[in-house]
Amino acid sequence: MLELVDLNVSYGGVEALRNLSLKVEEGELVAILGANGAGKSTTLMTISGLVKPKSGQITFKGERLDSLKSHEVVQRGITQAPEGRRLFGPMTVEENLRLGAFTREGDSSETLAWVYDLFPRLKERRSQMAGTLSGGEQQMLAIGRALMAAPNLLLLDEPSLGLAPLLVKSIFRTIRDINKSGVTVILVEQNARAALKLADRGYVLDVGRMVLEDKAVNLLHNPLVIDAYLGSR
Amino acid sequence: MPDFEFFLQQLSNGLTRGSIYALIALGYTMVYGVMKLINFAHGELFALGAYLGYTLLVVFGLGGSLGPPLAIGLSIIMVVGLVSLAGYLLERVAYRPLRSSDRLAAVVSALGASIFLQNAIMLQWGAQYRAFGADLLPNVVFHIGGFNLPLVRVLVFVAAVAVMAALHVFVHRTRLGLAIRAAAIDQGAAKLMGVDVQKVIILVFIIGPALGGLAGLLVGVYYGQINFNMGQLYGLKAFTAAIVGGIGNITGAMVGGLLLGLLEALGEGYISVIWKDAITFLVLILILVFRPTGLLKERVAEKL
Repeated sequence: MLELVDLNVSYGGVEALRNLSLKVEEGELVAILGANGAGKSTTLMTISGLVKPKSGQITFKGERLDSLKSHEVVQRGITQAPEGRRLFGPMTVEENLRLGAFTREGDSSETLAWVYDLFPRLKERRSQMAGTLSGGEQQMLAIGRALMAAPNLLLLDEPSLGLAPLLVKSIFRTIRDINKSGVTVILVEQNARAALKLADRGYVLDVGRMVLEDKAVNLLHNPLVIDAYLGSR
Repeated sequence: MPDFEFFLQQLSNGLTRGSIYALIALGYTMVYGVMKLINFAHGELFALGAYLGYTLLVVFGLGGSLGPPLAIGLSIIMVVGLVSLAGYLLERVAYRPLRSSDRLAAVVSALGASIFLQNAIMLQWGAQYRAFGADLLPNVVFHIGGFNLPLVRVLVFVAAVAVMAALHVFVHRTRLGLAIRAAAIDQGAAKLMGVDVQKVIILVFIIGPALGGLAGLLVGVYYGQINFNMGQLYGLKAFTAAIVGGIGNITGAMVGGLLLGLLEALGEGYISVIWKDAITFLVLILILVFRPTGLLKERVAEKL
């Protein structure tokens, strides 16, 4: 479904991604792991078209993505809940969700009902300013907003960041439900253990390079991964 | 009670003047909101609106041939259209090529565009004052007790407020308005929603100048005379109004404009006419020192 081949990205001379390749099949839930600054967010931003690669290519359902503008990427069915959520704080919850459906022509009330079903808290707070929500609710809104475009591929950047363990569990459960409903998911996480328990496959990034790729269960038991990212139990 | 009538006089004067400042301020604030850039050429687009109105109404004599209401209505449509086009071209020529360069480069380019436009207006229409002609609108004055309210003052105020109300509805109730607000809050996030930010930028460079051009025409009709460098003082005052309301904040620009107009009219009525501009800029300095985010700063902080 999505394929990145030999992607090179740099910010003002500093290399962020180096010969990065990865592949995601339809219906999969793929985790991208790695330390801070490994290039995880850069990978997602490059897929979304906000960062342009220096070389390499991205194809989605057989179409080149890397020359498209960000709004065209969304129109192809790829949306993102970015790092730090980046909600529209002075707008209401519902306005944020309406923006998520910005590229859709017709009626999106069915998707809205689905999102409210996944996150009932958002329905309760729909006319509240997004900036006044709690951290967990903000994350729900960020994911819900990305779902409003009815995407085929959902990119999630650190959805567990700054959340209490109980909330992380519930958010991850919802991510699994979203994936089960047919949305392909790329999940970028520092919380490697939780991410691998959820994912079908995982990639491990280190300073802009792909160092490991395997089934999630194998990565969970890979000594290298345990040492570097999972720590001792 | 002449004191009270004098107060009403200054109040109505201030509201109308303020509504003009507000219209111009909206252009500054909308462009700033999305681009984080002061369009220094905005005052000149306002002046261009005044001169295009002059050409249509006086030089072409539309006022005489069509009758005032139709002539002014038609002029408004044409002025708004032409100044929007000028705004579009300005973005295309002076700003877009510098999008990825230093912010300072864009500021210099904006100043250059301002000087260019001001001189172009002077070369085209001359450096002397141009009169709109007093017979454009019937010289009706309402007398309410000792308080005199000229019809033109009411019409200009109503026109400005109606346009602002329409803008408010557009920005808060339509899909494109939502996109403008989103791009003003976080361009990157707006892109992730599928908003074509380039289109939003073009849109604010059309709407802002349209409002500025309309304000120019209204000034011509209201005060009866225009000058090639009128964009400077009006631009600076409207900019002050935008800062007072909190630059980037659309409602703030409207409130700031009205407030500044009132302050100026009351200041010149009760303190001194000579000091009226000084009062305006004293306000600017005080706001910048004590409340740099403006009076209507966003109430909701972003939580991370």
